[in-house]
Amino acid sequence: MRRLVVVLICVIVSGCVPMPARVDTPRTEALDKSYALELPLGWIRQYTQEKNLIASRDGFLLQAIGVMRRPLKQAFVRTKKAATPGMLPSELAELEIAELKSRDELTAALTVLENEPAALSGKEGFRLKVAYNNARGLEINEVVYGLADESAMYRVIYRAPKLHYFDRHYPDFERTVQSFTLTKGKS
Amino acid sequence: MSGWRRVVLPAAALLAGVAVAATRVAPFTSGSAAAPASEAERRVWSQAEELNGVMVRGNVAYPDPQLAAYVQGVMDRLFPEFKGVIRVTLLKSPQLNAFAVPDGRIYVNIGLLARFQNEAQLATVLAHEGTHFTHRHGYLGQQSLKDSAALATFGGMLGVPILPQLIAATSMFGFSRELETEADQVGFQRLVQAGYDVREAPRVFEHLLREVKSENIQEPYFFATHPKLKERIDNMARLSSQAVGGGDGNDRSAYARTVRQARLDNLENMLSMGRAKQALLMLEDTEHAAELPPHAAYYLGEAYRLRGEPGDLDKAEAAYRKAIEAAADFAPSYRSLGLVLLKTKRHPEAAASFERYLALAPEAKDRKYVENYLRAAKQQGEAR
Repeated sequence: MRRLVVVLICVIVSGCVPMPARVDTPRTEALDKSYALELPLGWIRQYTQEKNLIASRDGFLLQAIGVMRRPLKQAFVRTKKAATPGMLPSELAELEIAELKSRDELTAALTVLENEPAALSGKEGFRLKVAYNNARGLEINEVVYGLADESAMYRVIYRAPKLHYFDRHYPDFERTVQSFTLTKGKS
Repeated sequence: MSGWRRVVLPAAALLAGVAVAATRVAPFTSGSAAAPASEAERRVWSQAEELNGVMVRGNVAYPDPQLAAYVQGVMDRLFPEFKGVIRVTLLKSPQLNAFAVPDGRIYVNIGLLARFQNEAQLATVLAHEGTHFTHRHGYLGQQSLKDSAALATFGGMLGVPILPQLIAATSMFGFSRELETEADQVGFQRLVQAGYDVREAPRVFEHLLREVKSENIQEPYFFATHPKLKERIDNMARLSSQAVGGGDGNDRSAYARTVRQARLDNLENMLSMGRAKQALLMLEDTEHAAELPPHAAYYLGEAYRLRGEPGDLDKAEAAYRKAIEAAADFAPSYRSLGLVLLKTKRHPEAAASFERYLALAPEAKDRKYVENYLRAAKQQGEAR
């Protein structure tokens, strides 16, 4: 979660992408036009790269929705593994779990609560729900929807403390997931 | 704490070059005498307690009281006068690490336990880590860091309370060369006194050097810090050739029985983190593999499948078939064999394998995936 804040600060300082903005129209597109989705109205949205964005209502440590596009064969940062063409949904989920568990000592001890096939943008993908404790002992829940097409792996992520926040904004996240569509530009 | 490691790693790197200029303090002579001797040392212990709290709250301990008691027993044998003061906690992590914090807690990853071949090798590491405590290296390490001008700069960069991070940095990423050498030497004497087979001591480092080389590992790893690993092997070999130790702790099969479940859990964990190459180092070692239960060939198959190099799918298939032959009721082998068969377009065989999996594991968490794959395999099979 701290990473999101750091990324946010870096991108704001660098001036490479638009400043954070309140979501006041239903439809949001990636800067590279590879996908579109509906973020919850009133949340603050920030592009972190031309293919990634994050959004939050009360602050990124309290609840965050992130969308990430990673070209196939481009390795994940920690595991150095990459999604490849023809990977099955459960194999994509394996990649995601490995990356999550490699994040730090606390996520290394995460528990996979749910791992099942799920549709994203009408394509076969996966849905994961994991739980781990942060350094203060607060349980963090994270849900990841993912899929891969011919060019990239896409992940739509929701992360929030289980206490109070996770359930409260989960329906907003699900609506965002349902609205997620790959657009012609990059897929 | 999600950023803990990111904070600690640069800290360790930055401070690695800081000269050790700590004032020497006398080692603790017994558990009853083990207490902070100054306000500064009390603060270091207090920070250690904070780190311990993070470990507890983070739920990172490996939950096997029997195994923990066994490892604690080895520690107590090495440091009988510190019984009840040096307390060992096992961690779930598959990383090659063990570390001591200043208040007498020693953390040992099951990744390390799983790789050792016998108790004497485990004792080598515990003796080293216990010495870090008895010789107050945690405090000395903090003192030397606090003495350095780098600290102020570093603290300013972080903008966060620094001491817990520094406790973690010095504990997890190694002390100065001088303190590590002392821990090796004094720890070795503990091995001798406890009657362990000291010929096993250099083998710990040799074994781990192979892993570091093959994996190009760059991780918190106490063996790889100071002094250089090769140098430590030479030092240990020299010490063990000169010492007259006992012959205890070299019973490989007894140790294998004790750590059997931890080895399997570690393999599962390692594979779930995508560390296929590390898993293969153990699983391709025929002696090590022979100590695992019959279905362990499944993990070999998983490691090949996850590594994904040319020819690995064939190797994975062979391993799954071997696992099925050895343990016909072990369900995961059928699921993974089904995946390989599906990917290589042998649909009827894949369908049969998935059906067998679902029959053996009707409550499997991944049932929905497998049902989808089964459906796809049947459809593809019929379409032919």
